[in-house]
Amino acid sequence: MTSLLRYRAALLLRSHRWLPPLLLYVVLLSIGVRPGEPVLSGLGLAAGVLLPVSAWLVRVCVTDEPPAARDCVAAAAGPWRVHLASVLTALLAATALGAAGTAAVTLTGHPHGAGRLPAAGSGFLAALTCALVGTAVGALCNRPLLRSTARSVPATALAVLLVLIPGGSPAHAAMSELVAGARSGTAGRPLLPLAVAAVFAAGATAVACALSSRR
Amino acid sequence: MELTGVGRRHGLRGPWILRDVGLRVPRGALLRIEGANGSGKSTLLRLLAGIDAPSTGRITGRPRTAYVPERFPAALPLTAAGYLTRLGRVHGLRRPAAARAALEWLERFGAAGHAHTPLSRLSKGTSQKVAVAQGLVGRPELLVLDEAWTGLDAASREILDRAVRERVADGGSVVFVDHDPRRLAGHCHAVHRVAEGRLSAVPAVPAASLPRVRVEAVGTAPPPGRLPGDPLAEDLGGGAVRLTVAAADSDALLRALLTARPPWHIRSVSAAADAPEEPRP
Repeated sequence: MTSLLRYRAALLLRSHRWLPPLLLYVVLLSIGVRPGEPVLSGLGLAAGVLLPVSAWLVRVCVTDEPPAARDCVAAAAGPWRVHLASVLTALLAATALGAAGTAAVTLTGHPHGAGRLPAAGSGFLAALTCALVGTAVGALCNRPLLRSTARSVPATALAVLLVLIPGGSPAHAAMSELVAGARSGTAGRPLLPLAVAAVFAAGATAVACALSSRR
Repeated sequence: MELTGVGRRHGLRGPWILRDVGLRVPRGALLRIEGANGSGKSTLLRLLAGIDAPSTGRITGRPRTAYVPERFPAALPLTAAGYLTRLGRVHGLRRPAAARAALEWLERFGAAGHAHTPLSRLSKGTSQKVAVAQGLVGRPELLVLDEAWTGLDAASREILDRAVRERVADGGSVVFVDHDPRRLAGHCHAVHRVAEGRLSAVPAVPAASLPRVRVEAVGTAPPPGRLPGDPLAEDLGGGAVRLTVAAADSDALLRALLTARPPWHIRSVSAAADAPEEPRP
């Protein structure tokens, strides 16, 4: 698995296809979060922004080779392992992005009694929650479940809206916990949303991996 | 590896591309798959390579597998050597061994000069050499070649022929499709034909009329377990044995004898003039 992850990471890094999702993240963060704002509400927004970005990263990672090259690796390692490595690579990239974003927002925002370090801790948990939900969305809205761009991109956009806006999704719960914390000045620990998001992501990835050799 | 009652169709209601396929791929076997265009040869090879799962039926005993496609438009952001090294790592080689094997195979195919060229800038022919090399770099137990010779120059085709025979002599299995009917003729252990979604064995040339090789060897220990090609053995006394085997299996037999512990001494190798004493099964 390590060798597969290295292979996928090399493809992701050298193809430079991580650049557009990174730019989306940076642009949305710099529009949405102003220096001096309460740090927890900034972190809540940063986590929300990470969700579509991580869904996009999954798309990049599962579509970044021509089919012939994918077949060669699939024969060597098994299609489901190859697919799992792609999704994990995307999740790792999203987590790294979330950590960097959390650090940047924590350093530029105003703690308002919450304390920078605890705020950064809950911000990172929320970011991880959103990265996991975004990964689940990406895994379900791309190959092998939806194979044409005409279906998979609109489906991703719709799914991102659904899990981000109404209550009930772990991403939304984690974000609103941070925003509520900004008002009361206490940094919560959104652990339950994180656990639910992890189950979501694992289930979605398992479905995608199981189907990777079926169609 | 064995396929039992294997069928494949796209989706849940698509038409069957293959139905009720049964095939055994023994270790050290070279199998040829024939069939018209669109008959389902490639589908069968993808099932054998484990890229696609069968819609019905079972595939058991999958060995470590490599697959070489017919066209390899590898628009990957890696160099030829970098790609092959990474594939070798996926096959379980350690990094230095993988890097060494990558360069060795590029050298064998005369593409060592392109080791550090990005894959996207390789010519079609050199790309195909890289595709073939990725199939060989990890010394797979099962090698599946889907018209891998297409797109290679004459010299590289011969190198691939030799590499396939080496893989088989080494105990690996190779399954291939190629439109040249003479490809590896005389070396195949079985030929199968795909037609109308079914697989059937093509009757082999009678074993008795195949060229056979007689090997006389002397050893102190009994010969290692099951010898390649199931040779007919005659005891010549004094630890010497005469082994008669199909010419296609002679390389594998010699290799098995020479690499046995303690190694056997080969006294002579000759073409068997007369027909074998008993027909092979």
